[in-house]
Amino acid sequence: MKRFRIAVAVAASAALLLAGCSSDPEGPRADFDPNAAVTLDLAFWGNDTRAGFYKNAIAKFNEKYPNITVNSTFLGFPEFWEKRQIEAAGRDLPDVMQFDYAYLRQYSQNKLLLDLKPYLGKYIKTDGFTESTLGIGVVNGVTTALPIGTNAWAMFTNTALLSKAGVAAYAGGTSWDEYATWMDSVKKAGGGSVWGGSDPTGRIQNFEITLRAGGKNLFNDAGEPQFTKADLTDFWNRGAHVRGTGATIPTKRLLEVAPKSGFGAGLTTSELTWDNFGAGYAGDLGIDASGLAITAPPATTAGAKDLYLKPSMLHAISANTEHPEASALLVDFLLNSKEAGTVFGTNRGLPASSTHLAGVQLDPLSQKILDYESSIKDRLGQAPPVPVVGYGSIEEKFRQLGEELGLGTVTVAQAVDQFFSEMETILKK
Amino acid sequence: MVTAPTPAGTPTARDSGRTADPRAAGASGAGRAPEPRRRTSRGAAATARRETVAGYGFLVPWLVGFFGLTLGPMVVSLYLAFTRYDIFTAPEWIGLGNFTRLFTDDPVFLRSAKVTLEYVLIGTPVKLAAALAIALLLNAVTRGSGFFRSAFYAPSLIGASVSVAIVWRAMFAGNGPVDSSLQLFGIELGGWVGDVDLAIPMMIILVVWQFGAPMVIFLAGLKQVPTELYEAAEVDGAGPVHKFWKVTVPMLSPVIFFNLLLETIHAFQVFGSAFIISNGSGAPGGQLNFITLYMYKRGFADMQMGYAAAIAWVVLVVVAVIALVMFRSARSWVYYAGDNR
Repeated sequence: MKRFRIAVAVAASAALLLAGCSSDPEGPRADFDPNAAVTLDLAFWGNDTRAGFYKNAIAKFNEKYPNITVNSTFLGFPEFWEKRQIEAAGRDLPDVMQFDYAYLRQYSQNKLLLDLKPYLGKYIKTDGFTESTLGIGVVNGVTTALPIGTNAWAMFTNTALLSKAGVAAYAGGTSWDEYATWMDSVKKAGGGSVWGGSDPTGRIQNFEITLRAGGKNLFNDAGEPQFTKADLTDFWNRGAHVRGTGATIPTKRLLEVAPKSGFGAGLTTSELTWDNFGAGYAGDLGIDASGLAITAPPATTAGAKDLYLKPSMLHAISANTEHPEASALLVDFLLNSKEAGTVFGTNRGLPASSTHLAGVQLDPLSQKILDYESSIKDRLGQAPPVPVVGYGSIEEKFRQLGEELGLGTVTVAQAVDQFFSEMETILKK
Repeated sequence: MVTAPTPAGTPTARDSGRTADPRAAGASGAGRAPEPRRRTSRGAAATARRETVAGYGFLVPWLVGFFGLTLGPMVVSLYLAFTRYDIFTAPEWIGLGNFTRLFTDDPVFLRSAKVTLEYVLIGTPVKLAAALAIALLLNAVTRGSGFFRSAFYAPSLIGASVSVAIVWRAMFAGNGPVDSSLQLFGIELGGWVGDVDLAIPMMIILVVWQFGAPMVIFLAGLKQVPTELYEAAEVDGAGPVHKFWKVTVPMLSPVIFFNLLLETIHAFQVFGSAFIISNGSGAPGGQLNFITLYMYKRGFADMQMGYAAAIAWVVLVVVAVIALVMFRSARSWVYYAGDNR
């Protein structure tokens, strides 16, 4: 009898579990009560500064919705993702998450994120977005995330350091050869303690923009690479040439100042990176925005649409949430509201939503970013498909091989073979 | 031990037919108290059973931990080593795929194994030599040895910490304290942190600096060496070198063996310091990409859990083989006092 009862209990709980799994709501419920008391979990990555902003923003949100309690937690970026991966395995993700582009495809394809389409308009206003920014978080036709902010690939130059060395600022948008010549002139003026920049072929984004200049992306929508071994060999050979002239900072010096970059450590006068890195550089260098300039990266082919707007971060709602409507209201507030804009400023990138941007007090650096993004309008093309699953690992492998090429521990041919072998393994899974 | 509660002079049915047994005869016939080893009655068996149950009851917390947190995960990881598993989707059986990839298609793994072996094979003997040398010195010192013992032991306590790794990084950077000091002597090496040839030596210095733990064990071993052996050697005209090789080393060999085994296994587990010094990347050029770090990156950064499990098992087997070889070789060089061989 006792055994029977246990069996019944096990069966009943299993049935409940199964029912729980299959009851994912298909869009908002008609009987949603906006005044019902609910508790939401919110997770983001960042530091104490950002946590303070979220706290203030949630307080503002609670003025509107006192019935929605938001419990927020934050971690550093790598730890944030380690924790999410474990939660994802147990289908126990927080209701609302700050999300990263590199993980979007994996989470979307595994149906871990809520389809936001039914909530757009009613719960999440879309008038602040453009068609292209609304399309950023779409994977296989399903909108699973919305961008908080966008950024573009850019060239930072340290004007303070350049004027000390007596070299004219980089003009921006020149050919790669002219950029190399400019770097060499800085190095000659710098007398061994300052270099013009670091080897641009160590970053996959620079490879990406050279491919895009030829009308290709790194990967197509099916996740197949759009480049050959010959393309990559050619690219890395060019890097070897630039390093050979001594215009770029030795890799050994870069490793010593890591995790700061050579630019952040005041050793180089230019760096190609995302345009939202300015605040970090200013902090590393201990200077204000007036010592930094943002210009366009070198162009492979004049007139090509090689640059694009990428989401600096996004917001997503977990598919396992019990409160999709309340979560959508929170996402709307964090993405669109002027109040949240006032609180966050450009801490999470240059806001993608214009209603959010309206609340932002632009500091000099944010103004420079805004000016930069409007200056490159002619070079901005269609964003590439959402990154393939494992893109983060592919990007890291590229960076590591770039580093090894700089150290001379591999030849270009070996590096190309290793990169392709690694990429094939990652794409296979 | 169970004491059988059979009353004297009341042999049980089992005993009655076996009076030929001198023990039973003695117990029942002479009317003496039964010997403690006898379990003769049903009551005794029940008590024994109860006590067995109680024994296992007390062991439950440990057993739960062992099966749930050690053996269980090990078995699962052995299974995962033969699968492709990214946490999100169910593991997919790929047979020996992970292992063939490790040995035929992964130059990073082979380099990682090479640098790990370099670190273990150079770092461990140097560390033990340093520990023994300092222990010998401390053993000779009579005043203030307590202070020095503590002072030398301190790095062992903090050496594996995050803060020391950060300090190490700063010390060995270009124009850092180490570089500047060497420059005073006209040695221009530059920074060690980013140097392909100097990164491993830097790590070895870090581990050797933590010689305190084996040193304390050596010191205890040295105190056990009977002084009459030294006196006898002196009478025979042995100098300090002879005494060291002919008396100290043989008498200390069990301790040397213990330290060698422990430190070798410990060296394979190097992770925290390499992770911090290389910013989690294993730079420069993979020189600090020790096997543990590589396994961690494969598992938690690349989400190739099956592959990471395969690496873990390869490491386990390699360490087990090395330990086995050490135990075998120990027969020919480790001397246990009182052992008649």
